[in-house]
Amino acid sequence: MPELSAVHHPLYQLRRTPFHARTSQLCLPHNWRRWGGCIAVGSYDLGLDREYWAIRNHAALIDISPLIKYEITGRDAARLLHRLTPRDIHRMQVGQVYYTGWCDDDGKLLDDGTVTRIGEQSFRLTAAEPQFRWLALNAVGMQVQITELTERLAALSLQGPKSRTILNLACEQPVDSLKYFRMAFNRVAGKAVSVSRTGYTGDLGYEIWMDAEDALVIWDTLLAAGHDYGITPTGILAMDMARVEAGLFMLDVDYTPASHAWIPGQRSSPYEMGLGWTVNLDKQGYFVGRRALEREHREGSSWKMVGLEIDWEGLEREYAAVGMPPQVPATAVRGSIPVYAGPRQVGYASTSTWSPVLKKYIALVHVQQPFHAPGTKVEIEVTVEHHRRKSPATVVALPFYDPEWKKK
Amino acid sequence: MTNPDILIVGAGHNGLVAAAYLAQAGRKVLVLEQRATAGGQLAGATLASGAVVPGLHPAGQLRPAIVKELDLARHGLATSAADTAYVSALPEGGSLRLVSNANDTSTIDAIHRLSPCDAARWPEFVGFMNRASAFMDAAYATTMPRLPKIELRADGLPLASLALKLRRMGGKDMFRVMRSLSMSAVEFTEEWFESEPLNAAIAGVAIHGVTLGSMSAGTGFTLIHNWLNRGGLAHRTVTGGPQALTDALLKAVHTNGGEVRTGADVAQILVEHQRVLGVQLTSGEEIRASTVLSSADPRRTLLGLVGAPELPPEFVWQTQSIRMRGSVAKVFVQTDSHHGLPEGTVAIAPTLKYLERAYDSTKYGELSQHPYLEVTTSGAEVAVHFQFATYALRHGDWNSMRPELERRAIDTLGLHFPSFKGSVQSVQSVTPVDLEQSWGLTEGDLNHGQLILDQIFFMRPLPGWSNHRTPVDGLYLCGSGMHGGGGIGGHPGRNAARMLLRGQG
Ligand SMILES: Cc1cc2nc3c(=O)[nH]c(=O)nc-3n(C[C@H](O)[C@H](O)[C@H](O)COP(=O)(O)OP(=O)(O)OC[C@H]3O[C@@H](n4cnc5c(N)ncnc54)[C@H](O)[C@@H]3O)c2cc1C
Repeated sequence: MPELSAVHHPLYQLRRTPFHARTSQLCLPHNWRRWGGCIAVGSYDLGLDREYWAIRNHAALIDISPLIKYEITGRDAARLLHRLTPRDIHRMQVGQVYYTGWCDDDGKLLDDGTVTRIGEQSFRLTAAEPQFRWLALNAVGMQVQITELTERLAALSLQGPKSRTILNLACEQPVDSLKYFRMAFNRVAGKAVSVSRTGYTGDLGYEIWMDAEDALVIWDTLLAAGHDYGITPTGILAMDMARVEAGLFMLDVDYTPASHAWIPGQRSSPYEMGLGWTVNLDKQGYFVGRRALEREHREGSSWKMVGLEIDWEGLEREYAAVGMPPQVPATAVRGSIPVYAGPRQVGYASTSTWSPVLKKYIALVHVQQPFHAPGTKVEIEVTVEHHRRKSPATVVALPFYDPEWKKK
Repeated sequence: MTNPDILIVGAGHNGLVAAAYLAQAGRKVLVLEQRATAGGQLAGATLASGAVVPGLHPAGQLRPAIVKELDLARHGLATSAADTAYVSALPEGGSLRLVSNANDTSTIDAIHRLSPCDAARWPEFVGFMNRASAFMDAAYATTMPRLPKIELRADGLPLASLALKLRRMGGKDMFRVMRSLSMSAVEFTEEWFESEPLNAAIAGVAIHGVTLGSMSAGTGFTLIHNWLNRGGLAHRTVTGGPQALTDALLKAVHTNGGEVRTGADVAQILVEHQRVLGVQLTSGEEIRASTVLSSADPRRTLLGLVGAPELPPEFVWQTQSIRMRGSVAKVFVQTDSHHGLPEGTVAIAPTLKYLERAYDSTKYGELSQHPYLEVTTSGAEVAVHFQFATYALRHGDWNSMRPELERRAIDTLGLHFPSFKGSVQSVQSVTPVDLEQSWGLTEGDLNHGQLILDQIFFMRPLPGWSNHRTPVDGLYLCGSGMHGGGGIGGHPGRNAARMLLRGQG
């Protein structure tokens, strides 16, 4: 007789996150998504409004456990990350968090995530995709240990203007002094956690990292602490709208990692993705892609990811022609939409969404030189009653939405 | 020497050939050799055990073009002696004596006793092998293109002229040569001859120095390769011994103002932003130069001296994957001179299966029970080349295995030459670990990288890096790990120097 559990959880099932016992109770519409081999809640309601507005007005509690996570320790831990990423890791302080992409030797992005300096010789790296081979390859000749923590380390993202108030109630130590992109150790319900002031929404927000075994009690404690402040379990679809407003891109949606590209033209560099600020060409020593990035820096990039605001009047006009008010998607749309300058296609949108907080139809677009200067007037394709039309749009700098409390 | 233009790591014959060409062209060249003497594998050593061993080589010759261009005759190099004999011990006793000359009557008579048919084919075989090695020689003299990104101007012309040269040498043989490269020594020899002892004798040369058996694909290639380096089956002795090659090269370097420093162990090749700055010796001394050539093997040069952290990750992966598998040991026996061995190059390669079985042991990390041996004598001294003595032993280590190695060498030789055992006075041996420690050869690989089909021509040392360059600007490879190596010949050193002098560096 096979064991019962084996019957109920065959190997080919997607993994469940450490919060599954709670999230599955709440996910009434069964709007599940896949994320990193896990089932993740898409939304807890049929619509996204409540969860979206929790991010922008109160506090949203998001299970981000499927993120790929590594612990990198040892004498050469800093050296490995310094070589892996274009940022100057040697200058990082303990408790500091860097956001960064990393490249192949042609200077094309492979993945992006955060690096947290946990200690002098100890770091945490998050990634969208498994990176063990790449990390190991880069570690040849170095004294480091690379340990995958993905399943051992559960993580929650608490995002929204009330997140700090709630954390102060739930944590043993207040988080008031925790600055933007810093990390500190703390305790929730007596359990050790690390709290970083990071997130994927462009709002005030924190990410709480914990032992998978402590996941449920910490979930319960946070929900109880946030009850009076509108804490709302939130799925990844509302977060997807918020991240577009914040100008944050997503692997495989807004860029194709070099390791997935079928043709060279599909790849993107950090400069093209607006991550020029993370590329430190003055730093010491070799890092992967240095040569190519130096060249691109010298010669300029031919593409750039920028923001696009679709002019409402233009949209109205196109819809009015068929006797309808403008229609906007109720969720972030992950599909390529052509962008034109006159008759010529000069780029494409990779994610577009209605922004409830800005009351604008916005998109992350990739446009060629010289059309990426803010203020440039272009056109974007809109499909009006099955007919392809063009609507005027304006290039804007990212992020679209940047509340003053994000960094305060 | 103050402010050298060019540093060369390693004074093996390839490092010295490169140095001589560059010095001849007026460059200020400084060669840095970790060992006490120049010559690399041509030179002897004092081992960690304290034993002093003579050079590893019975013979060797530099390519005629090199001898001419560097005017080595003026620097004291005598032309190679005439054909010497290759003597293979027969399974039932007695031996087969071969001179690699199409018309040598005693050879044809000897083969005739085994098979009249084979005797009739011998002249054609020798002719074919000579043409095949001439093809190889022409290919080795041409730097291979960086496939798949071939640069028309840099690579196209040399390749086109090679193609033309090969055509003129005999277009119809080309096909036969191409076909032979991928064959095994068994398949190749059996297409020529029916006599097993003759085939096995030839197959011995095919597996010499490589970790491959007589049935391994690609031993057709290694046979042609070794035939080219030796000038036939047997080693051609050099007047004054192999040391004469080193001496002539040293003279050529010195005469042209170059310098060779021995006892200069390069600890690190200094690199900043993927550009070479010079080297640092284990003594701590730093020597700066904008160009560094290394004749140490590619793995040692890149992962050891440059270091993986300075190199692109995929390149590190490829470099780690270069197969270096030494399985050669050397046993030097001092006899009372009544060893009973004939002159020339003596092989213990009685049957094709014997050779394959000897090789089998490497798969299991063991020492061959019945090894393939190649033996040369110099008076009372007997030098035994032993295969297969795998670098990576599964049980024990090379310190504890040394007596066993020596015993098996002596027993095997004694089986074929009854008076040998009684003549033994003292024994010294060089294990693959000694080759690594005293000669700087990664995993004891004499060729600086296995001679296998996916590691030759434009794939040596790595696909995309066959033009002596590395990801580090100003750092070039010029040793046996490059196209044209291993073995004694000098092509890698010559090609690297010529590429630099053409300004393609
Ligand atoms: C037992 C045996 C039998 C062989 N049989 C044959 C044969 O029959 N036919 C044939 O053609 N070939 C044969 N070979 C192979 C041949 O000897 C080699 O391929 C050839 O000598 C390599 O020459 P090289 O100049 O490229 O390199 P090497 O001679 O290996 O020279 C490299 C030099 O670099 C030096 N070096 C390495 N690292 C450093 C450092 N960090 N700092 C300074 N110096 C450094 C080393 O000390 C060495 O002197 C045999 C080799 C052996 C050991």
